Amino acid sequence: MAQTSQRVDVPVIVDESKCLEKCNACIEVCPLDVLVKNPETGKAYMKYDECWFCLPCEKECPTGAITVQIPFLLR
Amino acid sequence: MDSELDQWITLLRSPLLDDRLVAIKTLQHLGDEDAIAPLIDALQDDDPTVQTLVITTLWEFAHPSAIPPLLGCLGSPHEAVRNEALSALKELVSTDDLMKLLDVLQTGNFHAQLNALVLLRKIHDAQALPFILPFFESENVELREAAVTTLRYLNQVVRCEPALALAQDPSETVRRAAVLTLGHLSDDGVVPLLSTLLTQDADWQVRRNAAQALDILADPAAIAALVAALTDPEWQVRKFAVRALQKNADPRALPTLINALADDFSDVRRDAATALGNLGQAEALSALQQTLNDPDIDVRIFSERAIAKINQTLAATAHG
Repeated sequence: MAQTSQRVDVPVIVDESKCLEKCNACIEVCPLDVLVKNPETGKAYMKYDECWFCLPCEKECPTGAITVQIPFLLR
Repeated sequence: MDSELDQWITLLRSPLLDDRLVAIKTLQHLGDEDAIAPLIDALQDDDPTVQTLVITTLWEFAHPSAIPPLLGCLGSPHEAVRNEALSALKELVSTDDLMKLLDVLQTGNFHAQLNALVLLRKIHDAQALPFILPFFESENVELREAAVTTLRYLNQVVRCEPALALAQDPSETVRRAAVLTLGHLSDDGVVPLLSTLLTQDADWQVRRNAAQALDILADPAAIAALVAALTDPEWQVRKFAVRALQKNADPRALPTLINALADDFSDVRRDAATALGNLGQAEALSALQQTLNDPDIDVRIFSERAIAKINQTLAATAHG
């Protein structure tokens, strides 16, 4: 699985201003385990560029910090 | 209660909003039913985001003890809270909760009443009828519309005189709902009223719904109005009028149905072909033959079937 280098290019975008440090909801629901916490900031981010666009991370986030950008052909 | 659960329940009362949100989310994932009572207490939280999240969590637990507090949220001043409670209760309420819902109707809170009327549609119990009727005279358009729509969902209700008055309501949204409800009633004045609305109402959706209701009722007394509706300027009205005529095969409709085979909208042409097939009159055959070249494949298929049906009827009559 390719590790992401540029966090803006991945499909799961986390709004760090809304992400809660103690919350692990998105990480727990991700079936591919591609979301992790940044140990420095305590915010979630997409570590591996692999996504099924299944959306539980977006739906489970209590603050609406996550946006999943679904590719045009999958919409 | 284990210490991990205890820790999150304590955090539910934290003064920090973020902590409370994390606590609710974690309790949701832990799924321990010991958390239900503290979560119900958390419905009193001042923050609507917290309230909404607690409702989602209680919805996931689906425990009957959560239903009365969730009913209390139906009248919340916050739209997100009300909507989430309504969505949760749509799944959770059962026939056992009828009395609780009827109590909500008595509260005097507009939002709670509106949502309770929607939830009564899931229970289908005719006992709710006397509690719904007062809303027919409500000053609020939304309550009148919700009440008359709910009436449609009540089992065993076949007569309801006050619903007829709502079919002539000043608001078109109420009339649209009332007219559809009339399709399920068998009061004496229903068919004449629907026939008048089908031909005279100013709102095309009311006219279309009247055609749909007459389709359900399938009463021969409506034929003249249905035939007149075939010249309606709106194609949806014409389409459903033709559909109603499919059930009521009446020779009086023959000339207008033949004209409908040349309608601009293919749905009307297709349904007219079927109606002519049901009529089984030889006069329709040449007009139907012409539609075998129709640009719409549906029309061609249904015309072919109609011709076959007419030929079958004619053969049966000749032999009989």
